[in-house]
Amino acid sequence: MNSVSPSAAQYVGGVALHDDLTDGRRPPSSSAQLLEPRGHFGHGLLTHCDTEASGEPDEVDRLKLKIMSAWNNVKYGWSVKTKTVFNKTSPLFLMGQPYLLNSADEVECFRLAFGSRLWFTYRKEFPQLEGSSLNSDCGWGCMLRSGQMLLAQGLLLHTLPLGWSWSDCPLLADVDFEVLRPASPSRPAGLSFPSLSSSWGPTALHRRSEGPRRTQTAHDLQSEALHRQLVSWFGDQPAAPFGVHRLVELGRESGKRAGDWYGPSLVAHILCKAVNRSTEVDNLAVYVAQDCTVYKEDVMRLCDQSLLDSGSSEWRSVIILVPVRLGGECLNPAYTECVKKILRLQCCIGIIGGKPKHSLFFIGFQDEQLLYLDPHYCQPVVDVTRRNFSLESFHCNSPRKMNFSRMDPSCTVGFYAHNKKDFESLCSTVSAALSSTEERYPIFTFVEGRGQDCSVGNQSAGNADPFTHIVSPGKLGQNSKKGSTEEFVFL
Amino acid sequence: MAPFEKPKHPKPFKQRKSFALRKQEVAGIRTKFPTKVPVIIERYHREKYLPPLDKTKFLVPQELTMTQFVTIIRNRMTLMPSQAFYLLIDNTGIASMSLTLAQVYSDHKDEDGFLYMTYASQEMFGLRENATEFSLR
Repeated sequence: MNSVSPSAAQYVGGVALHDDLTDGRRPPSSSAQLLEPRGHFGHGLLTHCDTEASGEPDEVDRLKLKIMSAWNNVKYGWSVKTKTVFNKTSPLFLMGQPYLLNSADEVECFRLAFGSRLWFTYRKEFPQLEGSSLNSDCGWGCMLRSGQMLLAQGLLLHTLPLGWSWSDCPLLADVDFEVLRPASPSRPAGLSFPSLSSSWGPTALHRRSEGPRRTQTAHDLQSEALHRQLVSWFGDQPAAPFGVHRLVELGRESGKRAGDWYGPSLVAHILCKAVNRSTEVDNLAVYVAQDCTVYKEDVMRLCDQSLLDSGSSEWRSVIILVPVRLGGECLNPAYTECVKKILRLQCCIGIIGGKPKHSLFFIGFQDEQLLYLDPHYCQPVVDVTRRNFSLESFHCNSPRKMNFSRMDPSCTVGFYAHNKKDFESLCSTVSAALSSTEERYPIFTFVEGRGQDCSVGNQSAGNADPFTHIVSPGKLGQNSKKGSTEEFVFL
Repeated sequence: MAPFEKPKHPKPFKQRKSFALRKQEVAGIRTKFPTKVPVIIERYHREKYLPPLDKTKFLVPQELTMTQFVTIIRNRMTLMPSQAFYLLIDNTGIASMSLTLAQVYSDHKDEDGFLYMTYASQEMFGLRENATEFSLR
């Protein structure tokens, strides 16, 4: 039961409304192409597009394009699936914020929060990546895209006002909110049919009826400008500080090339380099933990500007990235509770990881399911250097969930602390979350002091190889019999 | 040490030696070195990025912390600090880095008396090797 999104009609309606309320900020000719990348290949959409966009390719071409686009996205792992069900009894956590979806108002709050997250996906037809013939990251760049989303979440907290949400936030599609199901028992639940529960947004909510027309304050406009600027930093062109071009270039230092696969730990290091190199972002440091340990003094040295010669007494904000491996083949179930506890924290900016071979950005959970943003959706490039470029394709309207049991054990957990006080409370709340689970050993730890003090490197001074001697079995007496050439290495 | 040379013993240690033999071996080494912990370190069977270790059997001072232990193995493999490296206990969990080997040993030693660890980096994510043919035209 592929593909036809029941919400397409509402969606178009919503866009029209948005266009209306944004007072023509968006050029009308772009609205048709805006619709396309959203994961909707529905018929309803098509007709609406045609009426809206005269002068676009004719209907047959558009249909062809849609089918190709649908096929390509199936090929690249964007699962065209049925609606994601959200029950009304268990809190849904999104970026550390709980939503108990038992009222229309709460669903609306969730929509705003979800739709305001930045979504980065595969893109095609961008300027060729240096040193390769690739002009698309479809099929290989998913981990980099997840990394971009993680960094973007940190940057949203860093640059935009607390609790900011995007006023043009999309309507949600392919969702089934239990609380919004019609009471009538005659229609079986889950039937794919346009209904309030499959598309949820301002049109369906009376409280918004007077809302949209309010005039935008200077504050809103400023936030919008920052939002737009932030997205442009992730643009798919060589000059963007966090675009795929830059990330691939920085990955080269670790032996990766365009077209290679990336891992969550490597991406953490690439993001760190990208932020260090950027001139666009002020006052932000990135710390990447090694060996599952966050050395507090190392973080403080990164943040405390007064330690530098600059003379500034500023404390820089920090993004802390902790690459971990939570099991061998699959996620060790003992860690599930711990992952949940981390995702409940407001200082957590998400987890990059995925299902095996399929990177995802985990942003929350409900019950035994992780909520995620999926980069496996191939969209045409957007020229972010153009004034008023479209923001639509950088926000997702389809929240999706998967079971914890499918989570790949390799991941990187992200945190953000705005100031020194935040950092101190981060250390204590995260430590508490890590140690409160049944699993005896926390998945990572905060340690006072510096990393270099804790390694054995400087203690065994002058000894390049810390392996002092090797004892052959013969010397150990008759217990280790012949037939074994294996020896114990003495540390 | 030449990295990526073929491991001498592709079979896991447990399959190369009988339980009785392993138990005997531990008993012998423990009486001789009671303050040292016998540890078996093997490469995760799906590991693709980290080099094989040339040795599998280690006698580790019991007061060593996991952090120190990991650093030694990292040096042994000449890994970059940024390279992902994890020691999995019993192939499933990661031990807290502040624990000493004595603590890990008492909690996780095998019936035969060895402490078994597997080392692994991280998985990479992606669908296909290249996407050059991808085009919408």
